[in-house]
Amino acid sequence: MNRDLLFYLMIPLLFVAALLQSTAAVRLEMGGVKPDLVLLLVVTGVLIYGSRTGVIWAFAGGLALDIFSGGPMGSSCLALMMASLAVGVGQRTLSRFNVLVPLVATIIGTFVYGTTYVAILSWVESAVNFLALPSVSAVRYELAFWPTLQFIIVPALFYNTTVMLFLTPLLNRVPERSEAMGM
Amino acid sequence: MRNIERRPRSVGDIGIRVVILSLAALVLMALQLTGQLRPLQSAIALFTSPAQVSATAVTQNVTNVVSFFVELRNLRQRNAELEQFNSSLLAQNFTLREMERENESLRDLLDFAQKRPGLELRGAQIVGLAISQESTNFLDSIRIDLGLTHGVKVGMTVLTDQGLVGRITEVTSNSQSKVLLLTDPTSAVQVVLQESRLDGVVRGSAGGNLLMDFIPNNREFKVGEAVLTSGLGSRFPRGIPIGQVVEIIQRDIDFSQQAVIRPTVDFRRLELVAVVTNFDPAEEVEALAPIPTPNAAGTITGTNGISGTTGISGTFGITASNGVDANPPLTVPIPAPGEGAP
Repeated sequence: MNRDLLFYLMIPLLFVAALLQSTAAVRLEMGGVKPDLVLLLVVTGVLIYGSRTGVIWAFAGGLALDIFSGGPMGSSCLALMMASLAVGVGQRTLSRFNVLVPLVATIIGTFVYGTTYVAILSWVESAVNFLALPSVSAVRYELAFWPTLQFIIVPALFYNTTVMLFLTPLLNRVPERSEAMGM
Repeated sequence: MRNIERRPRSVGDIGIRVVILSLAALVLMALQLTGQLRPLQSAIALFTSPAQVSATAVTQNVTNVVSFFVELRNLRQRNAELEQFNSSLLAQNFTLREMERENESLRDLLDFAQKRPGLELRGAQIVGLAISQESTNFLDSIRIDLGLTHGVKVGMTVLTDQGLVGRITEVTSNSQSKVLLLTDPTSAVQVVLQESRLDGVVRGSAGGNLLMDFIPNNREFKVGEAVLTSGLGSRFPRGIPIGQVVEIIQRDIDFSQQAVIRPTVDFRRLELVAVVTNFDPAEEVEALAPIPTPNAAGTITGTNGISGTTGISGTFGITASNGVDANPPLTVPIPAPGEGAP
């Protein structure tokens, strides 16, 4: 797989992933959760290119997700950026060709993304109430943390990790360095 | 070509990016919460809606194809020749099937409207299944292709012929609205058990189940009882089916009982929904009982996402001339998920 080409395709791929997340992911629902396609793509990008560019993809992917989803604009951006930073911590020292690395990265990414997203929703709810903002949306964003962790984040963690297991062979086909730079 | 290789890590470099992007996200959030992003969102929705509609249609077709091949594998073992014939026939008739299924849904909605002459229903095609439907696992909502120009307002009830779907939480543009599903953990509906007449509140719960709460202790009710909207709180019309009790949760330490509810609506297969446009959430309307009154009139319109617009509209009268009581007690059949309309 061409590493340079994939780099430039990341933004369109994130857009398509967000579109599929809002249309096709429901067909893949298992145990009440859907795979986080955009998150998986961001994790993949961070593993290949590092968190330096990963945060930008996280922002772009989050923006697309928020546009299609209708959640608070910017919330997915922040949650995905936190996830990309968390995933990027060991990215330079650990080889992604070790099968455990992408799987653990997915577990960490999903956990950080989920908990951050819930925290942001709670924060948005508090801000709306505190500032008595005009009701733009009737949705109440506050979610109970422990049930959300138990019934959504943990199952999603397993689901995303399983999907990443199948994506790993594709991920391993992307060379560690650009062919133009010489192996 | 730009050098895309990893450069030596610079904490400051990443930090600056994170700070800038976080600020951008917070600004977007603030703009949206204060309503200043609405024109931009409407403009974006104009561009993204066709993409979502197309993706939904493609997804539906892919799902049909996958289902078809799964069935095909089993049937081939019994009759290879017949299956071959079926495969070619089905492949040619995908579009027709889609329309047929939608017509069936519209017919069911029409029947539903006929039985509830007090409700003015407006058919809608779901634009994006997911948000999830909302795009995340955390919020359950859908987008429908009705908006300001169709008279849709925040708070309006959304239902199918099988029961309550949710309520409009945001009218995002002239032709799009967002519906908070009953299964969302933040939704709450005042309900009543059909036989025991016990009140409670049904909430969505993480994981997609419905939970009925605040059922008085020391009062008996049965598994299998139908759950209907009670009309209390005046947020939803009275008598709309929600589901069926499948489990009773009773603990000595609790002040009230709980019940796990199986919804009548299959939320994963929502395609056509109807918006009740004449129910004022602040004021409960009469004539919401599901039994038609003699010479009742109702109207339902719908759109077909495949071949432009197909509408069913009409006025129909029902006259009780067969000796049947025109106003029997409130009884609503509760189909299991997957039964009835697709």
